[in-house]
Amino acid sequence: MSRGKITADRVFHALGDPTRRTIVERITEGPVSVSALAIPLNITLTAVVQHLQVLEDCGLVQTEKIGRVRTCRLKTTGFSVLEQWIRDRRSTWERRLDRLGSLLAEPDEDQ
Amino acid sequence: MQPSSVIHSTIVIERSYPKPPERVFTALADPAKKRRWFAEGENQEVDEFEMDFRVGGIERLRYRLKGDVPVKGIVITSEARYQDIVSNQRVVAASTTSLGDQRISASLVTIELLPTENGTDLILTHQSAFFEGADGPQRREAGLHKLLDRLAIELAH
Repeated sequence: MSRGKITADRVFHALGDPTRRTIVERITEGPVSVSALAIPLNITLTAVVQHLQVLEDCGLVQTEKIGRVRTCRLKTTGFSVLEQWIRDRRSTWERRLDRLGSLLAEPDEDQ
Repeated sequence: MQPSSVIHSTIVIERSYPKPPERVFTALADPAKKRRWFAEGENQEVDEFEMDFRVGGIERLRYRLKGDVPVKGIVITSEARYQDIVSNQRVVAASTTSLGDQRISASLVTIELLPTENGTDLILTHQSAFFEGADGPQRREAGLHKLLDRLAIELAH
């Protein structure tokens, strides 16, 4: 559930907070329930929910309620936005050398 | 004292490719191959690319950037003269880059190929002088690289 377009601005803002980065790192290992997330972070459940809302809005996290347990897992949308942003910022020569690598990897190059 | 109108920078980029130096050198020397990695890119429209691959020979690239970029549509021209070529080892070229009709930089680009067990290490050394008003992609990128470095440090905490 995200409101509006996911921009690099929003993803950077979301990841600019150390608690939210910890949440993302934790979820990277696998889906976690919201209450289990709160314990090691040593913050209130309400605070965790607010952080998750920010992460969810920019496509980094997805939460889902199953029965009485809300579980959160990683979502790739936000990361794709970041990847694209970083790719766009690479210098001309770095992009060129990436393309040289792709060209050298082509099978018909071996003939 | 007036601030200097020229900014100097040196960038070194290293890459490893799983192909022998002869193969990598071919991609530097063959115009059709070089066009593909050097001139063409997702966001650029190539108007002209020609190269005369010998010492003293000229390489000319003219292109425009497409998409969501600050210098969209402006013609970018780079003209290089090959200064030194050693087969399978190195290519050195001196070049200038222009945005529209304004020259924004002059550079010496050295590409070295070093054989390794698995293929080739390529070392590119790009030494540039950026001129006044060189508000081109390079300058912007340099600034953004710093931002990204800071971000990486931030994210590493």
